Amino acid sequence: MNCQELIRYLSDYIDRSLSDELHAEAQQHLATCHNCHVVLDTTRQTIYLYRQSGRQAIPAEHRAELFARLQQSLAARKDSAS
Amino acid sequence: MPSTNSPPGISLDALRSGDPQALAALFEAYADRIYRLALSLLHDPSAAEDIVQETFVSAITHLDRFEGRSSLGTWLYRVGYNASLDWLRRRKDEPLPPDEPGDESDAVPLPRSLVEWTLTPESRQAEGEMAAELDRAIGELSEGLRLVFLLRDVDELSTQETAEALGLTEGAVKVRLHRARLALREKLSDYFAERTPQEGEAA
Ligand SMILES: [Zn+2]
Repeated sequence: MNCQELIRYLSDYIDRSLSDELHAEAQQHLATCHNCHVVLDTTRQTIYLYRQSGRQAIPAEHRAELFARLQQSLAARKDSAS
Repeated sequence: MPSTNSPPGISLDALRSGDPQALAALFEAYADRIYRLALSLLHDPSAAEDIVQETFVSAITHLDRFEGRSSLGTWLYRVGYNASLDWLRRRKDEPLPPDEPGDESDAVPLPRSLVEWTLTPESRQAEGEMAAELDRAIGELSEGLRLVFLLRDVDELSTQETAEALGLTEGAVKVRLHRARLALREKLSDYFAERTPQEGEAA
């Protein structure tokens, strides 16, 4: 496997969705190619960073009100349907 | 890969009969996810809250249309995604996300930045600045790449679930995820490499 192929398979490698054979070839390349190893490592860190900090949530001060509004709309629909 | 997308212990019958606990459990499990999806498309926090409301009302009142082929969670994403697109259509000044070019080809540009970086305790001190940098980088992605990255890597849906939620083929999801990851890595590399002591430099 060369660098270009490694980069093409990088996401599948990270997600462990390569065949055993390709996975082994990728591992072999990574063991000897510093550049591809850096790309793998920094791609993993990129994913990790967004997973840690990218989980924006409904502002806490709006959450209860939003749920109450939802219950009201559903109740109103139920009343009008019956 | 374990799915995070099956609502644990939420029964459809309970939702149909208007059980408040089932509704609360569903809201707890999915409201923030739908909010993030909508925010990523609309860039408007208050509109994103409206989409959450609309998504849950629409899903609960149309539970009979839910066929159980996908998980209830994936279906909620789909309803939320469509509600967001409808909102964009109603607002004529907000363009719909363009089709993503080249979903058929898995070609990606070779990486440009080859500098090592690691998150050191020092880099963590500037967490506010780092968060702004992450926002800036993901904001530069096209909508098509950003949504796939959000569902796959932030919300941890499977390829199949993401494909169902966004109405894409699994092949397109994989191609977009790969492009998004490499593009984000490239964008972050410049920022973090500057803040990582390189070999031969004093730390
Ligand atoms: Zn290489």
